[in-house]
Amino acid sequence: MHYRKDINLLDFHRSLDKNTPLSYKGPIDDQILQAFGTYIEGLLKESPKASRKVFKIFVELAQNISYYSAEKSILLNNKEIGTGMVLINELADCYMFMTGNLVQNDDIVSIIEKSEIINSLDREELREYKRQQRKLPPGKRGGAHIGLIQVALTSANPLDIEVNPVDDDHSFFSIAVKIDK
Amino acid sequence: MENIKITGQHGVNFIPTVDFNADSGICELAGESYLEDTIEFYSPLFSWLKQYTVEIDKPITFNFKLRYFNTSSSKCIIDILNILRKYKDDDGTIEVNWFYDAEEEDIEDELEEIEDFMIETNLKINLVAN
Repeated sequence: MHYRKDINLLDFHRSLDKNTPLSYKGPIDDQILQAFGTYIEGLLKESPKASRKVFKIFVELAQNISYYSAEKSILLNNKEIGTGMVLINELADCYMFMTGNLVQNDDIVSIIEKSEIINSLDREELREYKRQQRKLPPGKRGGAHIGLIQVALTSANPLDIEVNPVDDDHSFFSIAVKIDK
Repeated sequence: MENIKITGQHGVNFIPTVDFNADSGICELAGESYLEDTIEFYSPLFSWLKQYTVEIDKPITFNFKLRYFNTSSSKCIIDILNILRKYKDDDGTIEVNWFYDAEEEDIEDELEEIEDFMIETNLKINLVAN
């Protein structure tokens, strides 16, 4: 008996090889954040420095999804929470931390522009940019507009950004961050 | 003026420990700061500090003992520092201490952040190694 049509879990499993200790798609609320935060500490315990960096990066990117993803889930308490994907991949010399989520096309240009600015700056310039952006009026629930900048500073590597159109109104935005071991 | 005491929690959110004492003028913010609504949490702390500078008008010692804070919280730290700087500019006496753990894995990043706080607010922060 086969109910499933378009979803092949084995393919999905194979696409996430044994070096992917964590992958998730779904609403990202504070409870998920807490649980993953704890997992990250455990999974990466052999490299405490990388683990701390992955955790900081995770908090910023996950919070972005929770606030700004164009795909929403309504939870039991009627709270609307952003939905997205989170994945950790372990390579020989580094960890890759990736997130992906739907973004309104109206918002995508500013995200790409900001990422390009971030990747064009050296560390000192990036710190200056962060101080400048932090002075702007706060965003949603006190957002400081410096999540992506802080991610780049914490990882000390460029942001790998990809944007793919999904439909007339939405694009899929994904970001990969490299954290050296 | 009432004191503020909040016990920190490492739960679904990371709530920092707050100890603002109007009698001694010693204010402490410790632990971890990652909140669902950062402004909602920090607004009463801003109000308290502003009220202290107007009504009590005595020296303030502000001790930061934060182990982790997210970027939204960093903006509130800047707001606190700006309130203290304004008080200093109006001839108030303040001392700001930042306690850090020299053994911490990513201590360079933390020290860099504190330097950014000083540049951004034009306020001297004393670094105290634990």
